[in-house]
Amino acid sequence: MRGARSIRLKRNSFVLFVTLFVLAVFAWAGWANYEYRKQAAEKVLAAASHAQLIAAGSSDDGMPPSPLLGKPAPEFALQDLTGKKVSLSSYKGKALLINFWATWCGPCKLETPWIVQLRDQYAAQGFEVIGIDSEGDDLPDSDKPGLAKQKTAVADFVQQEHMQYPVLLGGDNLAQPYGGLEAMPTSFYVDRKGTVVAAQMGISSKDDMEAKIRKIVGAGQ
Amino acid sequence: MKTRHIIPAALFASALLSTLLCPGAHGQSFPSGKPSQSTAKLEAVQYLYPEQVTLPAGKTSPVALHFRIEPGFHINSHAPKDDFFIPTVFSIPADAGVKLETASYPPGADFVLPADPDTKLSVYTGNFTIQARLTAEPGDHLVNAKLRYQACDRTACMPPKTITVPIDIVGK
Repeated sequence: MRGARSIRLKRNSFVLFVTLFVLAVFAWAGWANYEYRKQAAEKVLAAASHAQLIAAGSSDDGMPPSPLLGKPAPEFALQDLTGKKVSLSSYKGKALLINFWATWCGPCKLETPWIVQLRDQYAAQGFEVIGIDSEGDDLPDSDKPGLAKQKTAVADFVQQEHMQYPVLLGGDNLAQPYGGLEAMPTSFYVDRKGTVVAAQMGISSKDDMEAKIRKIVGAGQ
Repeated sequence: MKTRHIIPAALFASALLSTLLCPGAHGQSFPSGKPSQSTAKLEAVQYLYPEQVTLPAGKTSPVALHFRIEPGFHINSHAPKDDFFIPTVFSIPADAGVKLETASYPPGADFVLPADPDTKLSVYTGNFTIQARLTAEPGDHLVNAKLRYQACDRTACMPPKTITVPIDIVGK
């Protein structure tokens, strides 16, 4: 009687041990599978997001062309630094460079002197520039010092870079009609008929900008 | 419990356990090969670790925070050379139960844009670490710290961004 009970106890212990072992194996396998899938998903996400983050590009350097190419430049009316409203329609008949920029953007600072020079050079041929500040900032409305500093920075930048052409504020409101404006600088070259002839996201070179300006100055004449 | 009862119970339990521990098959979904636009745009800087730290409550302690910048991009260091540029700044909200006493940032590396070889920028690339000194109140605090940065590649810059740095900080 006692012997049979002892055997049963041993058998139960053995079964319990095997059961716990199986459970542990399942748990380990489940966890390993979870980790593997997590890492694989992270790798896929990292690779895909890197591809998405390549910001620079233009219509002629292998990057996807701007959806605005060949279309009329979307109309806008924004305030300049003095509070005066300036609309795109007031530039009808001009060859126009619409240059979106931001104070925090190093490449913008680099290309601004080129734009100033090219404007002077081609003004007599009916070429004009509109600079549109597009800070794209995520500062909350509660960050009053941050927002005030930003406004001062725009005026300081304009003065420091001798931007004699109209500079408008609130370019972030044009992100949707102008194809996202995901990176600065972004430039649109508009011919005398108001059609976007070339677009450039990111800095290229002064020569490249001049070539595009020649295109719009000559186009439509 | 009889042996014949143990085995089915064990199989049921193991099946249940493996189901719970295998979220890829059932519960939590993972990103597909084509992430959404909004997810991809968040990835210029990623917080790596630690996800959880235990600190002696009320005592200021060092914590190293590790971040990764996507290849091909750089962000301004904490001390950019141009006043117009936006520095990288780590912060912790005031009501988090954890106070950021100091944050020590790595020095920026010199970086030159191809279009302007004469101007040196002070930037971070690759991985970087911020040495924070934190004081935690007793208890478990899920802290949503912030990292503000502004990223560029060699020709263009993206708008400044503030990302959440989630850290579970236990003050003991």
